[in-house]
Amino acid sequence: MTTSARALSGPPRLGVWKGLLLWLPIALISALTPLQVLQSGEVGLFGLAALIAWAVFNTFFALIFITGKTHRFRAVLFILVAVALPLEFVPYMIETYGSMMLTEATMLSSGASFCPLTMPMILIPALFKRVVIFPGELLPSAAHGAFSVMFIVWVGSSLALGRGWCSWGCFYGGWDELFSRIRVRKRPLLRRIDRRWIYLPFAVLLAIVLLSALTYGPVYCEWLCPFKIVTEFQAPSSALAIFQIATFVSLFIGLVVVLPLLSRRRVQCGLFCPFGAMQSLLNKINIFEVRIDTEKCSKCQRCLRSCPTFSLDESSLESGKPLLTCTKCAACIDACPQGAIAYHIKGTRIGVRPNVARGLYLYPAMILMSFIGAGIFTSGLYRVLKLVATGSMI
Amino acid sequence: MQGFLLGLANGTTCLTFCAPVLVPYLLGEGKGVRKNLLTLLLFLIGRLGGYMLFGLAAWATGSLLLGATAGQGVLLGLVYVGLAALLLVTALRRRAPVTGACALQTGTGALQRARRWPGAVPVGMGLLAGLKVCPPLLLAFAGAASSNSLWGSLTLFLTFFLGTSIYFLPISFLGAFRRVAPLRTIGQFSAAIVALYYLYAGVLLVVGGLQ
Repeated sequence: MTTSARALSGPPRLGVWKGLLLWLPIALISALTPLQVLQSGEVGLFGLAALIAWAVFNTFFALIFITGKTHRFRAVLFILVAVALPLEFVPYMIETYGSMMLTEATMLSSGASFCPLTMPMILIPALFKRVVIFPGELLPSAAHGAFSVMFIVWVGSSLALGRGWCSWGCFYGGWDELFSRIRVRKRPLLRRIDRRWIYLPFAVLLAIVLLSALTYGPVYCEWLCPFKIVTEFQAPSSALAIFQIATFVSLFIGLVVVLPLLSRRRVQCGLFCPFGAMQSLLNKINIFEVRIDTEKCSKCQRCLRSCPTFSLDESSLESGKPLLTCTKCAACIDACPQGAIAYHIKGTRIGVRPNVARGLYLYPAMILMSFIGAGIFTSGLYRVLKLVATGSMI
Repeated sequence: MQGFLLGLANGTTCLTFCAPVLVPYLLGEGKGVRKNLLTLLLFLIGRLGGYMLFGLAAWATGSLLLGATAGQGVLLGLVYVGLAALLLVTALRRRAPVTGACALQTGTGALQRARRWPGAVPVGMGLLAGLKVCPPLLLAFAGAASSNSLWGSLTLFLTFFLGTSIYFLPISFLGAFRRVAPLRTIGQFSAAIVALYYLYAGVLLVVGGLQ
């Protein structure tokens, strides 16, 4: 292959053996989960689900290393995790509470599972008033997602990945990703979106932080979360609750289904999610970033069109930097025909040994995905296997 | 002294009650620290007016207002709707394209009036924020209601106001970030979101009170 041909081949390929060698540590680390399950004596359906999950996730991880394409395979896993979440969570809710609709009494008795999206709302009251305003559990028990566990996972992943959480750790974003990748037409119907909307997540963040401190309640969960309808919500026992449910349904259909279908972008993640906005700010303290080698860049703008979270504009091509909201999903890296975009470690020279930066970024990202994502996928798959074997998911 | 200490002790709570109105407004205006201080002063003057009105009502009615739940709900609902309207003015107001007379000719109705009298919005917000029933204000209200004289009631509210106002001063330093252009857009968007919240809460209170 000539130098010019190689230059136009996109991200660098490692080849099978080098790729497999780099994949091996991830395979071993992620094997801890199925091994733990098997060691605990769960050799039945759950053990089978854990093994399948490990195999699926590791096949895609290996492909990421071997082919040099990150986004293509990451997105599949990301979608699988998001779809598996309600498959696992809704039966759990029905098992525990009889319905995915929580009564107010259950909510107040700390029955709700803790969700990382509430993090920005609880921080200020927790810091200044020493009150956790989410009615969830503090320490892990039988319930999903206790506050302490989620907090540790959030701090760790934020330090390691910054807003990379939104492409590797989040278990909701896959819904957005799924609908943004469905091709109804050859070209997206909604191509031009006013750039000012990229600031909306920060405004939602500011508003919910202020209102949550005012009301001592998780305002986002009560009013604005589109993912309530795939997890749990308050029973429609009053006009207020019905109005809230209607809001959740509208937001899900609008932001997660319709707009991603029309624009082929992750609209909820890029233009609404306040947790994503907070993670964007944490990108500042994270050592990994995506950079454009302006000398290699041919300004073809494929990266601009491929960015699912509106994190690249013309100014990015000039400065060589995506916007603060970059989720490090690697869609632009995969799309660039010049191989001009790569993961980068802050403080190092642009374009020098991009595979090292890529490998160092992918390890924590894959570890996060294999523990959170594969865990959710295992539980979701277990419910499906149970349905096949017994005729019931419960 | 009792009012001042009460204000000092509960200032952070007062701040959390006023911050959802004040922070988006100041960000949306995109002014510097000095101009923010002036805006804050106007807001606080309005808030003092609100407290004084409340103090007068407390003195005039004793504990009557605390008992009149339905009427109080309607009143509070109207205050919320008013705050929502002022926040929407902030959210919808655009930067004047040119200076001078031409700038005044753009926009209609409330937006145009807000542009002509720029102090009206912060004073109005302060007035309505002062009338909002927050727990520290109820404490001050209880103290004022037990006072035998108009002067005692007003003094308690005035000193309470001074005590709580100290906590508001740092907000004006948001102006230090005015060169971060997106903050203005973020302020306007968040003003709209908070306005929707207050509008919803206000309508609920009014409807609930009327029923």
